[in-house]
Amino acid sequence: MNAPIEVEQLSVSYARGTKRVTAVQDASFTVAEGECVGFIGANGAGKSTTIKALMGFLFADQGEARLFGRPAKDPKGRQQVGYLPEVALYYPYMRARELLTLYGTLSGLKTADLRQRIPAALEQVGLGGREKDLLRTFSKGMQQRLGIAQALIAQPALLILDEISSGLDPLGRYDLRQLLIKLREEGRTIFFSSHELSEVESLCDRVIMIDQGRICKEVTQRELQAIGQQQSLESFFINTVREETD
Amino acid sequence: MKHARAIVAIARSVTLEAIRRKEIYVLIAACLLLTGLAFSLNIFDLGGLVKFYREITLRLMGTFTAVAVSLLAVRQLPREFEQRTIYPLLARPVPRSVFILGKAVGVLLVALASYALFVTIYIIGMHYLDGELAWGLLWQHVYLQFLQMGLLTSGAFLLSLLVSPDAAATLALLLYFASNVMGHMALSLYELTHTAGRAFLHLLTYALPQFVLFDLSGKVLHSEIWDPLSLSVMGALTAYALIYSLLYGVGAYALFRRRPL
Repeated sequence: MNAPIEVEQLSVSYARGTKRVTAVQDASFTVAEGECVGFIGANGAGKSTTIKALMGFLFADQGEARLFGRPAKDPKGRQQVGYLPEVALYYPYMRARELLTLYGTLSGLKTADLRQRIPAALEQVGLGGREKDLLRTFSKGMQQRLGIAQALIAQPALLILDEISSGLDPLGRYDLRQLLIKLREEGRTIFFSSHELSEVESLCDRVIMIDQGRICKEVTQRELQAIGQQQSLESFFINTVREETD
Repeated sequence: MKHARAIVAIARSVTLEAIRRKEIYVLIAACLLLTGLAFSLNIFDLGGLVKFYREITLRLMGTFTAVAVSLLAVRQLPREFEQRTIYPLLARPVPRSVFILGKAVGVLLVALASYALFVTIYIIGMHYLDGELAWGLLWQHVYLQFLQMGLLTSGAFLLSLLVSPDAAATLALLLYFASNVMGHMALSLYELTHTAGRAFLHLLTYALPQFVLFDLSGKVLHSEIWDPLSLSVMGALTAYALIYSLLYGVGAYALFRRRPL
């Protein structure tokens, strides 16, 4: 059986004015079924670019990104994927229920399933009872919660979450952490990027670090625990990145 | 069809946007206001009023629907990129072709609904004025206008992927309004120019759609001297609209398919 995520010697560049900037260079990693993997790096390190290449939004110059064994550009690979973008606004003229109906339908859910799942998904992210509210009335934190609900609506086997805790208050972060723990216990594969290293440390089986477009370190949970006895993940990350830069 | 539900869901979101953002209401209200004015003008005898009402209403119906379609179509894709609402949509198992098709169907549904409203008002007005309705020509006009909306939609999608939404709207409307003038101008210029100029005029004639071909309002206005178009002419016009819509649509898809998001 194919791993949910496979990245092989991936290089991605994009145009900035007349120049081409290489955002990810020769990146390789795999995320196995049931794993919870954190993806960390400084701003501009290439986290979101890697995730966008995985989702088929950006195209590889070299190498390949695969979801469940299918190339990233193949929409069928996204059948079992729930994705939370780094920054996304949701249609302000829609109601929460209408938005989730749209995304659920595109994921192939039947109307009867949607009727059950929409209230449950909203409840799960603390937006219970807000089904009929227009999204223009939602705060940034509520939009982020809604983003998590849309990622979960089709009950995907793989969750790819870019900057999960962005815009959430401490209570929201706590709720999200509990939700991720529950999803991990259910056996879902989770791959997420975050600047909240304590969150990464407490949730992940493995951490992948990226710096200046290159994967610079992969740390397993056992190594994380060993590191945790001496220093925090934050200090370890800063030292690793500095070593790479030097 | 495998992706029919996805196309309907995306089209529904476009119609919801058109309804909830209320911009289209302004156009409809303006059109109805001008139609009402034409209806109430008391400077003609009844025969003159019927003709005046017919002419004004038919022209307004076409113009306002074209403006509404252009404005709605040019912002569909750029707004998705700008507000990043495209990411959760394309994160689903939906090909980009289905996404663009759903958007186009949504714009056409809005066009159809607003045009149907205008036609209903026109028929009620004509009924009230006891004016004769040339049903054959009227339905042909309505059908051709709808084909024209399809052409305008695919052209607007293509333009919106090449230039900014404002520039795309301006160009789409310029093409629409200039189509009539350009047709006559090209004929006059053709006589005055030599080989290179004529080649350019040929290129212009074939590259740009002749929207004027889809406007039967003049014939509907003078229905006493015009018969409905023959089936072969209607077939040729349908083929013309479909070919151009398909060309522009394929062009828009080719640009969108390889566009990094």
